[in-house]
Amino acid sequence: MKRPFRTVQRGLAISWLSLLIVAALLAPSTVPTPDLATINQPPFHSTHWLGTTSQGLDVGMSLWQGARTLLLVSVPAALCTLLLGGFLGGIAGYWGNTGLRITRTQLVLMVAGVGLAGLLLSWFPGAGGWPWLGVPAAAGLGLLPWRNKKPSTNTWPFPVDSSILALIALVNSVPLLVLVVAVASIQRPSLAGVVALLSLTCWPTPARLMRAATLQSRSQPYIEAAQAAGLPAVRILWRHISPNALPVLLVRFPLTVAVLISLETTLSFLGVGLPPETPSWGRLLAAVRQAPANWWLMLWPGLAIAFTILSLQYIATSKEGE
Amino acid sequence: MPGLVLLRHLLRTVGSAWLILSVLFLLSRGATDQRSLLQTMVESSARLGSLLEQPAVSQQLLQRYGLDAPLFYVSWQPATGWYWHGFHNQYHTWLTQLLQGNLGTSYRSEEPVLVLLGQALQYTLPLTMLAATLSIALALYLVAATGYRPIVSNWVMSMAHTLQSIPLFLLALGLLLLLANPDALNWFPAFGLGPTGPTSTSWSHPQALLYQLTLPTLSLVLGSFPALAIQLNGSLHQELARPYVATARAKGTSQGRTIWRHALRNALLPTVTLLTELLPSIVAGSVVVEVIFALPGMGRLIADAAVQQDYPVLLAGVGLVAIVRLLAQLLADILYPLLDPRIRITA
Repeated sequence: MKRPFRTVQRGLAISWLSLLIVAALLAPSTVPTPDLATINQPPFHSTHWLGTTSQGLDVGMSLWQGARTLLLVSVPAALCTLLLGGFLGGIAGYWGNTGLRITRTQLVLMVAGVGLAGLLLSWFPGAGGWPWLGVPAAAGLGLLPWRNKKPSTNTWPFPVDSSILALIALVNSVPLLVLVVAVASIQRPSLAGVVALLSLTCWPTPARLMRAATLQSRSQPYIEAAQAAGLPAVRILWRHISPNALPVLLVRFPLTVAVLISLETTLSFLGVGLPPETPSWGRLLAAVRQAPANWWLMLWPGLAIAFTILSLQYIATSKEGE
Repeated sequence: MPGLVLLRHLLRTVGSAWLILSVLFLLSRGATDQRSLLQTMVESSARLGSLLEQPAVSQQLLQRYGLDAPLFYVSWQPATGWYWHGFHNQYHTWLTQLLQGNLGTSYRSEEPVLVLLGQALQYTLPLTMLAATLSIALALYLVAATGYRPIVSNWVMSMAHTLQSIPLFLLALGLLLLLANPDALNWFPAFGLGPTGPTSTSWSHPQALLYQLTLPTLSLVLGSFPALAIQLNGSLHQELARPYVATARAKGTSQGRTIWRHALRNALLPTVTLLTELLPSIVAGSVVVEVIFALPGMGRLIADAAVQQDYPVLLAGVGLVAIVRLLAQLLADILYPLLDPRIRITA
């Protein structure tokens, strides 16, 4: 009895998500013209099937275009979140607190790199893509000293694990929603900015998962064999650890997308983050606050958000069960 | 030893709060140019808005808000390289003021941020306390009542999973449109603190306050109890498989007594960590809920400050939430060994 029900549910979830993706790909990018003759039109009463807003915008059209914004924000943000979290968690799990030995000059160079990146950030006022510029700069400067292979006598362990855990604790010390709202208000409203901000604030969960998975596989004999063979750490991480640890992250992908969708709609509902002219489901929902009698403004985007998140979650959990 | 541990925790708390606030301060001052910041500040008074065109006036305004000083102790530019600015900079001024307990004045209303925070907390405290108590009670009751009923338990847990995944603002909007709508069920006030105004309905009329807080509390509870219930259910079922529960059942203890007196006490231990996250998460939820129900509380203060780019208020709000979260973590670390004597505090 359980099987057919499960398959029906799964089929529903998959077909809703594929409908969403196809609709998002086909959505027209023209700015919709408000039809001022029919404002506050209930659904199924005129040519506007899903009703109109108090500004005369067609709800169906806004939903259609909002789907594209939703995908454009949440899917890249989820990828970035998983990549960043996976990278940091992998490093933390692999090197631990004693694995990475560096010299004093390397440490100084690294701190200088991070500081320089911070100053660069403050030097470009209002640049929309500041995280894209600063973070690679810091990473490049920090990783530059590892080129020389000469074993040095004056080294001491760099606590990679503790510092990444401290970073996670730091990000976690403010509730996610408050942090996202605060950072979103600081940067200029833009799509890339929202993607960057979401991936820079949501990485702790995948990082923790990846760290646990890496810790598990690090103690295996084949890793010891690879280390004994003298493979560089990056190669061991990529070729030997990640094939075993990555599925943990991949299973998280639908869930991460669901969390990011809910965050993004909340942000645009509050009116921060995305530029005001971008069509989005959250903004459509915000319109109901001006006209509480228009239930259809709440119903369609609400149903769409709920369906999307629930199907993503269903797919994630059914994958876990197998 | 406990004193040392406490000191270390407190230092960590203060350090994290300082780091977060510094990053947010530097970002907020660095990422927006002075021109638009001035525009935001003087937008409230139309008299100054037209004067802003004159460079002398905008210079004076910059001086008045302390924006003419350099941002940080050092700066770096490609042409000149590193430059040391000394202690007369925006960050130093802000930090010393913060240490003296001066959170600055709001850009919008020109009122001290402390006053605004105090006014907001007056409404947020009852709301969050009520929501926290109710969601703990609801989670405990649901889990304990369904402990020996797997079918009901599965049903309740799938409901909880569904509720957990739906964004809170959707729940709150749905409740608002269903139960406080003149066109549907007009049971509750839809907007803010009702027609009586904020002055008469505070602590002096607890019944009126309760009535007005019903829907916001309900949506916060619906948003925050699922996480608790799911975790608690998991740990309760782990405990129910233990031999001591079998012993209790074998000697004739009733099902309810087994759960409440034996299993639930042990099951609560892993949940303590989650309990400390409850209050901050409810505050975060109130960002959305207070906006929807138009309550003049903490969350609405943060949301409004974010929309209007009122950075002193935003920083103070985020700082307060962070400190509450960090103190709750400290409390959990202290509570843990008290609740479970097997755990010792190690420095």
